[in-house]
Amino acid sequence: MKITTARFGEITVEPEQIITFSQGILGFEGFHQYILIEQENSLFSFLQCVDQPDLSFVVVMPELLRADYQVDLDPQSVEEMSFESAEDGRVLAIVTVPDNVAEMTANLQAPIVINIKQRVAMQIVLTDSKYHTRHNVLAEYQKATFELHKATQSHEQEQEPQAQDGAKNLA
Amino acid sequence: MLVLTRKVDQSIIIGDDIRIVIVDVRGDQVKIGIDAPRSVSVHREEVYEDILQENRRAALTKNVDINELDKFLQGAKRQS
Repeated sequence: MKITTARFGEITVEPEQIITFSQGILGFEGFHQYILIEQENSLFSFLQCVDQPDLSFVVVMPELLRADYQVDLDPQSVEEMSFESAEDGRVLAIVTVPDNVAEMTANLQAPIVINIKQRVAMQIVLTDSKYHTRHNVLAEYQKATFELHKATQSHEQEQEPQAQDGAKNLA
Repeated sequence: MLVLTRKVDQSIIIGDDIRIVIVDVRGDQVKIGIDAPRSVSVHREEVYEDILQENRRAALTKNVDINELDKFLQGAKRQS
C-alpha cells in the first residue's frame, strides 16, 4: 500500500513492514502503526507513523551513546510483545532535534522496544536513575567513542600477542 | 478529590480490578503496591509528564537533514 508522509512524500509500504504499537507512543496513543525507515550510511533512522503523515520520530541505537546500554524487560512486557528470544529484540532511543542541531538529545529513559519477528513494539520506561529523557547526543557519542578507543588501545598494549582475541571480544 | 485515610496493609479498590495497598510508611515516604490489569499503565507522575513532554518535542522535529546529524557525530568522533 502507499502512504503519504510529510518527510518522505508518498512511499510504498509492505504490510509486513508495519510495526504495531498496541498502546501507541505516550502522547500519541491514538496511533498504532509505524514503519522503520533506515537510511543508508546513517546512524539515524526514522519511525514514521503510517496513519498520520506528519508524525515521525528520529531514532538512534542507544548503545552508540552508552556502550553498556541494556534493557531488562519485565515478564509482563515480554509476554505482551510475544518475545520468544531476546535476539528478536531491537531497542531504539527517540531523538529530539532542536533548531541548533548540536543540542540534539536522546531519550534513554523511555526507549522503544521492538520485537522484529512479531512486528510489535512499545515504549517502555526504565527505572534506572542513570538514564533520563535528554542525553546530549554529541557528548554521549563522543564519550562512548573515546572509551571504546581507550579500551581498544589498552587491550592491544596488554595483550599484544593475542591481538586477534581482543578483536573478537570487541566484536 | 476523594481523600481516604488508610493504615499500613490496608487497601483501596478502584473499579473491579484495581487494588492499591499501603505497603509501608517511613517518615514522609509511603510505599504503595498496585495491582492493575495490563491495559492500565502505571507511572510516577513526574516521570510520565517528562516522557510525554519529550515525546511531543521529538515529534516536532521537522525537515531535519539526517546527513547533517551524521556530520555532527563524525565531527564529534574526530575530536575525541
